[in-house]
Amino acid sequence: MHRASPPVAEDVHELDETAFLEHVHSFEFWFQSVEGYLSGRTFGHRPETADGSPVGAERARLIGVLCNYCVGETAALEGASGLIAIAPNHMAKIFLATQVADEGRHLEVLLHRISDLGVADPEAEVARRASRSLLLFKHRLLELVSSKDWEAAIFAQNVILEALEFAVFQSHARAADPITQEVLTGIVKDERRHIGFGENELGRRLKAAPHIRPRLAQVKKELDHLVFDALAETIQDLGMDASERDRLARAYLGSVERLGFTP
Amino acid sequence: MADFLAAYSIQNWLESCPQGYLEDTEFGHTPGESEPEEMLANEVLRQEAVRSTVQLVVGERCALAASSGLINAAPDEGSKRFLATQTLDEARHVEVFTQRLLDLGVRKNDLESVISAHANPNLVKFAEVLLEKVDKKDFIAGVVGQNIVLEGMAFSVFEMMHALNQAMNPKFAHTLAGTIADERRHIGFGENRIGSLIKEHPERKADVEQMQKEMSYYMLATFADAFRNNPAEAEFEKIEQRLQAKGIHAKYNGVDLTSMAPEQMEAVLADTVLKEFKTRLGRIGIEYQSPQRP
Repeated sequence: MHRASPPVAEDVHELDETAFLEHVHSFEFWFQSVEGYLSGRTFGHRPETADGSPVGAERARLIGVLCNYCVGETAALEGASGLIAIAPNHMAKIFLATQVADEGRHLEVLLHRISDLGVADPEAEVARRASRSLLLFKHRLLELVSSKDWEAAIFAQNVILEALEFAVFQSHARAADPITQEVLTGIVKDERRHIGFGENELGRRLKAAPHIRPRLAQVKKELDHLVFDALAETIQDLGMDASERDRLARAYLGSVERLGFTP
Repeated sequence: MADFLAAYSIQNWLESCPQGYLEDTEFGHTPGESEPEEMLANEVLRQEAVRSTVQLVVGERCALAASSGLINAAPDEGSKRFLATQTLDEARHVEVFTQRLLDLGVRKNDLESVISAHANPNLVKFAEVLLEKVDKKDFIAGVVGQNIVLEGMAFSVFEMMHALNQAMNPKFAHTLAGTIADERRHIGFGENRIGSLIKEHPERKADVEQMQKEMSYYMLATFADAFRNNPAEAEFEKIEQRLQAKGIHAKYNGVDLTSMAPEQMEAVLADTVLKEFKTRLGRIGIEYQSPQRP
C-alpha cells in the first residue's frame, strides 16, 4: 500500500499548530500511518505467522480475555461514532471517522482470532463472557456521548478507555502467542494515535477553560473503579501476578496524569 | 446474512479501497495533477466549480453524519463494522471535496462562509429529512435514506460529472472515480441488508416510502436549481463546441452530454436517478413513490 506524499511539509513538526492539527487529523495522515503495519496482513497478522496458539485451559482463558477486549472495542466503536455528531469542528469529525474505522477493525480482528481459536459463534461468546465492569463502562461512556458533553465523552473515550486498552494490550502482547501478539501490536499502534488526539484536544481545552477540570475529575473518579475492576479481571484471566496489575494501573494513571489529573 | 456481511468486512475494504483503487493517490487523484488553468483563469467557470463542489461537500457531510449516526442503531455487529468503513469513506469524500475548494482558490478561513453561502437550500432540506431519521435511531429508514436514496443520487451525479470532466479536468475526474467506487459498495450494502429487515418489519414500509418521496422531491429541486439559469451556461457552451470540434464527447447513459442543453441534461439525470430508485427499492420490497416535480 504505497501512498503518495501529501502536499505539506516533510516534517510535520515543522508545521505551525493549525497546519499540524489539520495534517494529523486528516484521512491522508491516517492512510500513511496504517500503511506500514496493515499492509500484507490478513485480519491483523501476517498469513505466514506460525500458529503457536495455546491449548486446553490456557486457550479457554485467552478466549475469555479476547471476548472482553471485544466488549471494550465495541464501546470504543459506538463511542467514537457517536462523538462525530458532537465534534466541535470538521477536522475532529474526520479524525474520529478514522478512529471509527480503526475500532471496527479491532473488533473484527479480535472476533476473527476468537473464531480461529475454535469458537463457532464469537459474538454469542462475547455476550456470554462480557465483564460487568466493562459493560457498565460502556453504558456510562454512551451516556456521556448522548448528553453531548464533548469534553467528558472524549476524556472517557480517548483518554481513559484508550489508555486502559493501550496498557493492557501492550503488556499482553509481550507474553502472547505469535498471532495474538501481532494482532495486539497492530491495535496498540492505532491506540497511540487515538490517545494523542484525546490528550491534544483536551490539553488545549483545559488550558483555555480550566473551569472544566473539576467536571472531568468527577468523570475520572466515577470511571476509575470500573477501570481497576476490569484490569483486575484481565490480569487474573491472563494468569499474571499482582505486580503486573500494579504496573498496568500505574501506566493507565500515567496517561491521565499527563493532563494533570492525579490519583 | 453472515455470508453476505463477510463480503463487507473491514479486511475486504482494506484490500479493495486503501490497498486497491486509492493506492498511489493524493486527495483521491494522481499526485501532481491540478485544476485546469483555463478554469482557474475564468472567474465565471471558477465560481461555478466552487458552487457545484460546495454541494458535494454538503452531501458528503450529511453522509458522514448519517453513516456514523447509524452505527449505534445497527441491529448486528457486522452492519456496525460495515458502517465503520462507510463512515471513513464519507469522511474521505468530505476531505477530498473540501481540498478541491482550496484548490479552486477558496481561502481556508473562508471555507465555512463559502459553504454556507453556496449550499443549496433544497439539498439542505434533503439532508434534514434523512438526519431526522438517523437522530431517532431509525435504522431501516436511515439505511434506505442514506444507502439507497442519498448514495443512489450521489452515484449518478458523480457519474455524470465524471463523464463531463474526463476530457476537460482529469484531476477532478480521478477524484470522482474513487468516490464512485465507494458509493457502489455502499449501495450494495443497503440493498442487501435492508431487504431482510423490511420483510421482518413490513409495518415500516409506509413511513420509508414517504421519506423516499420527500427526499426525491428535494433532490429534483436541487437539480433544477443547478441546471436552470446557470450563470456559466454561455461558458459551458463554448467549451462544448470546442470539444465537439475536436471530436471529444462526454458519454453518459448512452447520450452525448456535449450536445445537450442544460434542461435536457437535468432531465437525463433526474430520470436516471429515479429509475435507479425504482429498481433498487423494488428489490428490497419498497414501493417507489413518484415525487412532485419542481
